Amino acid sequence: MIAGKTEMRLAAVAALALASVFAHSQSPLLDESQLSAPKPAAVAYLYPQQVTVPANQPTTLALHFRVAPGLHINSHMPSEAELIPATLTIPESSGVRIESAIYPHGIDITLPLDLKTRINVYTGDFVIQARIVAAAGNHLVEARLRYQACDNNACMPPKTITAPIEVIAR
Amino acid sequence: MKRNTLVITAVLFILAAFAWAAWANWELRKQARERLLAASARNVLVVAPAGSAAQYIVPLQGKPAPAFALEDLTGKKISLADYKGKVLLINFWATWCAPCKIETPWLIELRNRYAAQGFEVLGISADDLDRDDPAKLSDDKQQIARFVQQTLIPYPVMIDGDSISQPYGGLDELPASFFVDRNGTVVAAQLGITSKDEIEANIKKALGAK
Repeated sequence: MIAGKTEMRLAAVAALALASVFAHSQSPLLDESQLSAPKPAAVAYLYPQQVTVPANQPTTLALHFRVAPGLHINSHMPSEAELIPATLTIPESSGVRIESAIYPHGIDITLPLDLKTRINVYTGDFVIQARIVAAAGNHLVEARLRYQACDNNACMPPKTITAPIEVIAR
Repeated sequence: MKRNTLVITAVLFILAAFAWAAWANWELRKQARERLLAASARNVLVVAPAGSAAQYIVPLQGKPAPAFALEDLTGKKISLADYKGKVLLINFWATWCAPCKIETPWLIELRNRYAAQGFEVLGISADDLDRDDPAKLSDDKQQIARFVQQTLIPYPVMIDGDSISQPYGGLDELPASFFVDRNGTVVAAQLGITSKDEIEANIKKALGAK
């Protein structure tokens, strides 16, 4: 009987020890404050979010974008061949095709450390006029803008953002 | 008595097994946590006190430069270990990065000035490489080669820098330069273009580090 009590005590101690060890080993790997927050995109799509267009007829859409303050992106016609131009595309499977796009003229700027080289860029708000043809029906189009952003001292890798637009073609 | 001994031995054995399993689990989670932290360690721009320039917090500072082995434009493998004992400026750049083009002549000039003291620049292109399409991959490499030719880079240039971006803090912005002393420790880093004087000061710091 005494030995039985000893066994019970031993089992209880063992269970408590194991519970504490397991409780610690199951704690979350990291809390959110230990992870770096993702950087916001340099370019945001503004509007339109929904348009109604005649079915199967070319229609021009004005897509509005905004470049974050302090940044610029290369225009569609950058001044040097190796610079990545801003380019709008629409996935072929979306029921809406893009016939052409008219890009705004950028502005010429120079970087503070190289006043000789001029680069053609977009800053602030800019608008791309996309000529589209939509099949009859409702289409959720995810237009894509590929761009490459910089500030005066550094450049960020090229990025593609989506511009979600509900196209209602009647 | 014999039965009690057997029971106690069995309990202790089970206890030891569970304790070992818990310890192993804890160790594995600790390693996973460290890997996760390393992967999320980004170079971060912070606002400095009034009157001084904003500065980057670079997690690599004071730590060994992460090892790498990358191909150059001819396909030859170049590794960090090949330059053991040298003072290095590891410079990440890309063909689409206008500030990178501005600072490249400075790097060439400073490399030539300090080469006799055991200093070398390692250029690493972070341009995307389309490895699924041989024709596109060839174009990508040619574009990098054109940049190297146009800027007359005399130091080793490697490609596929994206593959080692995580251990170097994410490389969210280019150019990014890491100054490594003779012991292989990162003693300074610069993100974005600064000035030739600042680059030279960091080279001297790396050369002077014991």
